[in-house]
Amino acid sequence: MAAGEFEGGKPLNGLLNALAQETFHGHPGITEELLRSQLYPEVLPEEFRPFLAKMRGILKSIASADMDFNQLEAYLTAQTKKQGGITSDQAAVISKFWKSHKTKIRESLMNQSRWNSGLRGLSWRVDGKSQSRHSAQIHMPVAIIELELGKYGQESEFLCLEFDEVKVNQILKTLSEVEESITTLISQPN
Amino acid sequence: MEATSEPLLDAKSEVTNQLVDFQWKLGMAVSSDTCRSLKYPYVAVMLKVADHSGQVKTKCFEMTIPQFQEKKITNGLTFIPQLY
Repeated sequence: MAAGEFEGGKPLNGLLNALAQETFHGHPGITEELLRSQLYPEVLPEEFRPFLAKMRGILKSIASADMDFNQLEAYLTAQTKKQGGITSDQAAVISKFWKSHKTKIRESLMNQSRWNSGLRGLSWRVDGKSQSRHSAQIHMPVAIIELELGKYGQESEFLCLEFDEVKVNQILKTLSEVEESITTLISQPN
Repeated sequence: MEATSEPLLDAKSEVTNQLVDFQWKLGMAVSSDTCRSLKYPYVAVMLKVADHSGQVKTKCFEMTIPQFQEKKITNGLTFIPQLY
């Protein structure tokens, strides 16, 4: 059956959105039948299935290679030329979709591949300890930092840390070492 | 005294810990089964923290480079010494 039986435009854009939600953003739950009846009601289920698989495969290939726009155009052109490929209409819709969703999809892929906790948030506060029973400390600021950590798909865990002046300065020194490393890495040709 | 416009921290955790050790590494995620071309650098941190009873726990987490460089982290910490 010809690829042209499946119109591009809004239905295809909707289909790509649903595929992206399921494949990258971790929101499955839209059934094949629902997609067909909503987006391509005149198409028979047994014809819809291979079409859906083809679109899913194309989207996965583009995302997996993190294609830039030149690569994308070359890839889609090749898809229009092959047997059982896509129409140039469909290619245009896919191209537009990738251009506007690329960043978000990439971010999801990065999050999915992180198996450690990620840093979800950081807040801080400074308390002033004015005096204690055992010594006449007049003003001893204490920094309190709360880290929000969490693994992909799991609830956050909160970690609260207390720092005195010495610790804060140690950490600042360490952070600037990290920053230096980053600068070195980024300035290296790869 | 200069202040940031951050809201006051209302800590969600009951217990504050002392930082005992802070190790870091800079990594590069190159490829994975879901994405052949990942190519993103990240900072991995390992903290050793001690609670009030002295029990030491290890916490590991990762940040992207933009996250690490987010002004919030360095601004907050550089602001603190001014108060001492």
